[in-house]
Amino acid sequence: MTIPSDIAQTIIDPRAYADGKQVDDAFAWLRREAPLEQAQPEGFDPFWVVTRHADILEVERQNELFHNGDRSTVLTTIEADKKVREMMGGSPHLVRSLVQMDNPDHMAYRRLTQGSFVPQNLRALEGRIREIARGFVDRMAAHGSQCDFARDVAFLYPLHVIMEVIGVPESDEPRMLKLTQELFGSADPELSRSGGAAQTTDQGVDSIQSVVMDFMLYFNAITEDRRVNPRSDLASVIANGTVNGQPLGHLEAMSYYIIAATAGHDTTSSTTAGALWALAENPEQFAKVKADPALIPGLIEESIRWVTPVKHFMRTATADAELAGKKIAKGDWMMLSYPSGNRDEAVFTDPFKFDVERTPNKHVAFGYGAHVCLGQHLARMEMRILWEELFARLESVELDGPPRNMAASFVCGPKSVPIRFKMH
Amino acid sequence: MPFKTWQCRTCGYIYEEEYGDPGEGLAPGTRWSEIPDSWICPLCGTAKSEFDMIEL
Repeated sequence: MTIPSDIAQTIIDPRAYADGKQVDDAFAWLRREAPLEQAQPEGFDPFWVVTRHADILEVERQNELFHNGDRSTVLTTIEADKKVREMMGGSPHLVRSLVQMDNPDHMAYRRLTQGSFVPQNLRALEGRIREIARGFVDRMAAHGSQCDFARDVAFLYPLHVIMEVIGVPESDEPRMLKLTQELFGSADPELSRSGGAAQTTDQGVDSIQSVVMDFMLYFNAITEDRRVNPRSDLASVIANGTVNGQPLGHLEAMSYYIIAATAGHDTTSSTTAGALWALAENPEQFAKVKADPALIPGLIEESIRWVTPVKHFMRTATADAELAGKKIAKGDWMMLSYPSGNRDEAVFTDPFKFDVERTPNKHVAFGYGAHVCLGQHLARMEMRILWEELFARLESVELDGPPRNMAASFVCGPKSVPIRFKMH
Repeated sequence: MPFKTWQCRTCGYIYEEEYGDPGEGLAPGTRWSEIPDSWICPLCGTAKSEFDMIEL
């Protein structure tokens, strides 16, 4: 069967992700009635929609059978794909980061920075990150009893951490935040570069391309600086690193910076903002963590599952294959729907309940297999430290108006979480 | 025999014999050699054979 057009339209509609319930309902229907079927919304090539947790793991685990880079790694229209290929000499990608690579390049490029993100090396950052977190908790307290937790804390704290790791000066952080929001929020009229949703494919691709170019101009200057003045930061690793005995290609180096400077904070920001939104709506969950800080790791895993900031990645079959009894043909395009996997009733009891004591909590928000999120340990550490510092002082929190999500079908989360709170 | 520590080459997950991983059904003190060869990394699914012994 082909997925009904109204369901197919919903799961690609940025506004449905902003609404939340619309995509939750659509994916719940798919998991029940059509857990692995093809969709073909108007203007798109057909693609399989992988909705079940087990099937997502199965695809991600087999990274040689299901490639990232053969076609666009993000759902895109036929027209936009054509335009990108014209611009990029036949490649379906505007950038070439770890996300767009397959082996052997993926492994070689990942090894370049993997050491910076393993737990034992992140421990050296604990003290500095705690200092940064305390600063943001102090700033929140300075707001008195009301703030927009997304804008005043959640957007800024992970941004500051990753920019220090990369080596971007604090004065440039607002620029990095704006570029990130323009990139991921290109379909959100409040965040897009054009100030409105793109009306044509040309406008949409041009808008994203201009953001990418701005990132590249910025990081080109950083590269030149670090080649002359290397420091102990990630930018110096990328600028001076070698892969297979050669310096990184220009596109690959620029893409490395871009993924670190965007995914390196935006997803953690979304999860942090979404966690406080959920805690404000579920005071009994807030009370549990407040009474027992040992539940903070549980809060972190549940908020990652709850928000699932990366909504999908695409894979392409490199050979005929069978998945969950379905025949997948070589070249078929597959949408891995992480929010659906993380609400899969076969894996999660009462999946639409926010439960900080959920155990086990084997969500797929960081992906799985060779492409599992490089920054997952840093993300968890940042959130742990912030919650340790915040829960030590936060006495109560409630919503002070309706929170709002960004409109995007690729990477998104809350863009506004107005709260009223008491702190000491 | 002193406890050892093992790390997944793919994602960086750390298994410390001293602490085990109770969430994965591995009690504190479970030696690496006692974990079945079919065991996979709980974070990314990498095979047990793709872990390295490390010192923290």
